[in-house]
Amino acid sequence: MKHHAEHLSIGGRALLDRRQFLSNSATALGSVALTNLLGFDGLLAAENHAPIIDPARPYAPRQPHFPGKAKNVIVIFCAGAVSQLETWDYKPELIKWDDKPLPGGPAVTFQGPAGNLARPQYEFRPRGQTGKWVSDMIPHLAELTDDIAFVHSLTSKSNTHGPAENFLSTGFVLDGFPSLGSWVTYALGSESQELPSYVALPDPRGVPQNGANNWGPGFLPAAFQGTTMSSKNPVRHLAATGVSTDADQAARSLLQRMNARHLEAHPGDSKLAARIASYELAARMQLSVPEINDLSSEPAHIVKMYGADDAQNPDKAAFAKNCILARRLIEKGVRFVQLFNGAYASGGRLNWDGHSALKEQYDIHAQILDQPAAALIRDLRQRGLLQDTLVVWCTEFGRMPFFQKGAKGRDHNPDGFTCWMTGAGVRPGVSHGATDDFGQKAIQDIHPLYHFNATILHLLGLDFEKLSFEHNGIQRRLTNVEGKLIPELLA
Amino acid sequence: MNRHSLAQPARQAPLLRAGFIVVVALTAVRSAVAAPVDFMHDVRPIFEKRCTECHGEKKQKSGLRLDVKAAALKGGDHHAPDIVPGNAGESPLMKVVLSTDKDERMPPKGEGLSATEVATLTRWINEGAVWPDGVDVARVKDQRDHWSFKPLKLAPGSHSIDEFITAKLKENGLAMSPAADRVSWLRRVTFDLIGLPPAPEQVEAFVKSSHSDAFERVVDGLLNSPRYGERWAQHWLDVVRYADTHGFEVNTERPNAWPYRDYIIRALNNDTPYDRFIKEQIVGDALGEDAATGFLVTASVLLPGQIGKDEPSKRLARQDSLDEMVNNIGQTFLGLSVGCARCHDHKFDPISAKDYYAMQAIVAGVEYNDRRLRTPEAEAARKEALKIKGRLAHIDSALTRFVPLANSGTERPMVNARENVDRFAPVKARRVRFTIRETNNLEPCIDELEVFNSDDENVALHAAVTVSGENVTANTHEQRFVNDGNYGNSRSWMSNEKGKGWVMIEFASEQRIERVVWGRDREGSFKDRLATDYLIEVGDAAGDWHAVVDASDRQKFDAKATKPVAFSTKGLSKEEASEAAALMKEKNSLEAAHKAAENAQRVFAGTFRAPDKIHLLNRGDPEQPKEEVMPAVLSTLGEVKLGQQTTEQQRRAALADWIANSQNPLTARVMVNRIWQSHFGSGLVQTPSDFGNNGMKPTHPELLDWLAGEFVRGGWSVKHMHRLIVLSDTYRQSSASNVQAAEKDSDVRLLWRFPSRRLEAEAIRDSILAVSGQLNLKMYGRGYDLFDKRGGLSGFNPIEVSTPENQRRMIYAHKVRREPEAVFGAFDCPDAGQSTAARRASTTPIQALNLFNSRFTLDQSEAFAARVKREAGDDISRQISLAYQLALNRQPAAEELNDTISTVQKHGLTVLCRALFNSNEFLFQP
Repeated sequence: MKHHAEHLSIGGRALLDRRQFLSNSATALGSVALTNLLGFDGLLAAENHAPIIDPARPYAPRQPHFPGKAKNVIVIFCAGAVSQLETWDYKPELIKWDDKPLPGGPAVTFQGPAGNLARPQYEFRPRGQTGKWVSDMIPHLAELTDDIAFVHSLTSKSNTHGPAENFLSTGFVLDGFPSLGSWVTYALGSESQELPSYVALPDPRGVPQNGANNWGPGFLPAAFQGTTMSSKNPVRHLAATGVSTDADQAARSLLQRMNARHLEAHPGDSKLAARIASYELAARMQLSVPEINDLSSEPAHIVKMYGADDAQNPDKAAFAKNCILARRLIEKGVRFVQLFNGAYASGGRLNWDGHSALKEQYDIHAQILDQPAAALIRDLRQRGLLQDTLVVWCTEFGRMPFFQKGAKGRDHNPDGFTCWMTGAGVRPGVSHGATDDFGQKAIQDIHPLYHFNATILHLLGLDFEKLSFEHNGIQRRLTNVEGKLIPELLA
Repeated sequence: MNRHSLAQPARQAPLLRAGFIVVVALTAVRSAVAAPVDFMHDVRPIFEKRCTECHGEKKQKSGLRLDVKAAALKGGDHHAPDIVPGNAGESPLMKVVLSTDKDERMPPKGEGLSATEVATLTRWINEGAVWPDGVDVARVKDQRDHWSFKPLKLAPGSHSIDEFITAKLKENGLAMSPAADRVSWLRRVTFDLIGLPPAPEQVEAFVKSSHSDAFERVVDGLLNSPRYGERWAQHWLDVVRYADTHGFEVNTERPNAWPYRDYIIRALNNDTPYDRFIKEQIVGDALGEDAATGFLVTASVLLPGQIGKDEPSKRLARQDSLDEMVNNIGQTFLGLSVGCARCHDHKFDPISAKDYYAMQAIVAGVEYNDRRLRTPEAEAARKEALKIKGRLAHIDSALTRFVPLANSGTERPMVNARENVDRFAPVKARRVRFTIRETNNLEPCIDELEVFNSDDENVALHAAVTVSGENVTANTHEQRFVNDGNYGNSRSWMSNEKGKGWVMIEFASEQRIERVVWGRDREGSFKDRLATDYLIEVGDAAGDWHAVVDASDRQKFDAKATKPVAFSTKGLSKEEASEAAALMKEKNSLEAAHKAAENAQRVFAGTFRAPDKIHLLNRGDPEQPKEEVMPAVLSTLGEVKLGQQTTEQQRRAALADWIANSQNPLTARVMVNRIWQSHFGSGLVQTPSDFGNNGMKPTHPELLDWLAGEFVRGGWSVKHMHRLIVLSDTYRQSSASNVQAAEKDSDVRLLWRFPSRRLEAEAIRDSILAVSGQLNLKMYGRGYDLFDKRGGLSGFNPIEVSTPENQRRMIYAHKVRREPEAVFGAFDCPDAGQSTAARRASTTPIQALNLFNSRFTLDQSEAFAARVKREAGDDISRQISLAYQLALNRQPAAEELNDTISTVQKHGLTVLCRALFNSNEFLFQP
């Protein structure tokens, strides 16, 4: 065999070897052995909903539970809690009640004493065929409302950013649970073998409020951790700096021969083959990641459409580049892209946490979000990608109808807020659920975020009750023991 | 299984309305009918037709089942009891059946119950809900009837691991593999016990050893090595999800967590008996092991400033932090998911919600906080801190000389309540008068007025003093305290006029003075009664007064200014500025040293206070408290019940005694299983933190019980268990696979070979450093930095420069919760969010990129190459040979040597080193 080793690629070599005991399609015997490798034991195999994962190709595409309308997902995650009252949830009563106290309202909310009710800080007007009222803060996104399904009646379990971002991303307020993207890629793998299956693109201004927990694998295998990159920072360790190409190639080739000899001496150990294959995948990634990050091939009109050429507003241009990157990743078959808009706690300066000077800060944030995000959706549509791609816009909770005492901003409100989705499998032009006249609490078709997440999984062909993973005695799910679909959002 | 969404108030209204209607309707129906309803004939068919699909044997939605009498009458999670015999109107079952809310009505699918069905159920309940005994087809499994809740079953006579393993293999037509060669065994056991590869000399000595107890000697050597505790502590820290930051959004540094990590390393190295080890972690404050109770507070926690100001937010945050403690205790020591009972009785195990809250009551006085350490090191640090403080006070006083001269044209800082310095050109004086013209409020108060002469001597001290008047509070505010040398409000003078007053000091002889220093409260407690405008005058020998200083060249007083005035050299001469800068520099470094010395006296190990009252919470919702619950251990497994009067520490002591007890059926089993798992990659019970009904059954129950028995009999010695295991034939088997056996047992659960596996992240990093010769064996103490910051909101940039400090073992890294280490995090390093009872070993291309291309690997490859050259000399064959021995504990085969020589000749030795660090042979336990 040894003379072959030099001529075959690592992957080819590994494949040749694996074939004896795995077969391409994973026989029953092979699959048991393999699921075990990634830490799945017999218990899970017996549950029979656990995906069968080839450790040599953890990102290989896998079948959903049932045919799903969507194949890929882009989640636009607005960190800091976007006010529903300045965006999608029009409350004309607030204009009448402007600067009057909320009758029976709370004296103290998250950050302190409550002030008077405050009118929406932007003008609203009806849009498109549906006549949906959307604010002037986001004129580009507002043009897309005919294609969007809104849920206005979401609730969260926490009014604190950290736990609430955990809740949105993982279904639990505590740290350490798997994120939505990890669940999805654990279940479905990816269409691309040359790129990570799950990519998180933090806002160019910084990471969101709960940082890496938003794309963490929790107790799922590390293979399903979100890989961070951005138009500014590519994946870490793509190349060995300070090593000549020759020396680099020599090390790679030497390693390949060493591992091949070792595998020959240890036949039947699929873990060894898996590691060999991972180096081949890594080598392909070394080529494909810089390629995907190189936006120079994008035509000028596309760059302009996203606003990536906005020299006056570098934050917007950088976010727009992330939006283009998101599209390119989806084009290449990456399963799950999480696109963050808004960074860490900064008194609302870098994200949507408008406690004290909401209008002033939202003017800035909206500029960054609006055109690029809208262009992303349009671009996906014009390329036919929206047929297979679900686009979700979300934020961890909403904001209060009144200002904080002595301030011009709104406090945290987990009792009624808006998120939306569009694209594959989504019923267009829907506004589902409602908050009260002041937009403080959801009162009609109330949906804890569990339902929203369950619906995302459903669109991907995943049953949120079946997609589970045993951890310390509990069959864990994205939606805990809760969840139900929001059928009104489905096409 | 644990948390539900908070109750949704909006839904309650229709439900209540419906309930009201039901009461009226049902009462009316009641009197109209005569013959009693027959359960078997009339009621059960309704349940079977409409209810038991979701509330029966297969599914028990909301914890309710209607196919078994006891369970049906007990009720579900949300409204138990759902059936109130004799009162249909009050029975939640009827309310949901009749509800008009589509989210609420039962059954949810299809039409609701017919009028006849409703009438039947109503009558049946009103007639007392008679459900005959012995008619049920299904039976509820007795959750207590479970192997792990029963006492150990110990087979009489003496036994061994190999006997149990061989017997099970034989039953399955399998047999043990031949023994591994000596080198493989040595490499395996060394990685296993100390997390590092053996050195070439150790390999040579062992291979040549003719001692009959050569294997035992190796094992003793490894267990006696301090490296052992460093390796095995990591397994423990995984389970308790240890980290050096607080987690959640802000993820602030938890600077004093590491003494707990050090405690675990020491305890393992000392082979602290496991029962003692448990007690120390639960109630170490009573046992002289303060750091050990770090166990109680290892979880993420919201710090006070991060919790909402509204009361529900505070209650929820406290509940979450108590929940983490209960979970940690339940999972770690008992292998039970006690936390499942937070919202309702446990679905699978005999743990009621009440049991859960009784456990909360045990820790209800524990707060996530630093506590004073009482170790010799801490005492030394305390002394050191005092010493530094003394020097700091000296510097502070010296620095008072370095303020801008009054009226020099430089604006002077605004007055502050603590201390103010007025410096002026030297002037001869017999008297000094300090006149207050305005205060921020009330009558002015001065704690000490000091006047310094050119010899830097406070000449006001104990000099004659006169004041304008005074409000006397005996022993607190008196005229004599204004120049008695004592600082603080409790030794001060207070004027008797609002916003006004003066103090005059008269010296015994004429002085050449240049500085007046005064304050409202040097101790920093009081900020009122501060002189905001004042005049300092000097009386000369002739009796004339000359104004020297007033507040007019100071920055205007602003009550809202909160920050202390920063030191500045503005307005100083060049010499003064350089002297002051030197003092400031010393001050800064002393302050850092002071902080370190202060920290060295504290450990993040919880503080203890009078316990809060704990209530059973409906659906786990803090806004829905039910009856108060007294502290107790799990009621079906123990009998320890405590009263409300039991002190905080006694509660924890009682819990610890119950857990750390040979009679507790779980404690020893759970721990021996964890030990076994760490040796073989998977436990005899594959769900190491779930020994309950939902967990896996042991593959070798007799072996597990025998090991648990041995554990207790051996005085709970963990090292004794290691010896038993690693010296067994089972452990010594070759790891080579064979097709026939793999067909029968592909997962190697029955151990027909040694299950080889990839090293964990820490072992890989440590081993690379050991092989490159860079490993720094410094033990204990504050963790080294992996990132450019030790905690915070954002932007953890990895440190990529190798230093002696960061070439220590990875267990000594400052662990930032949730932030994966840039190179090794991808190797399934736990994020310390939730407990990791078993590491996954996944394989990803990101791992390959990290290990092949990272600065760390490249640097260590160079260091490795340099070491090899140093030790092997110039001959390339010898170099390659030594590199193989260091990394892989073997010589290269002739073929390998030939294959490698040309590469090394052409590209250098580093290429080989880099490949070795990435090779499967290096990364897998043989």
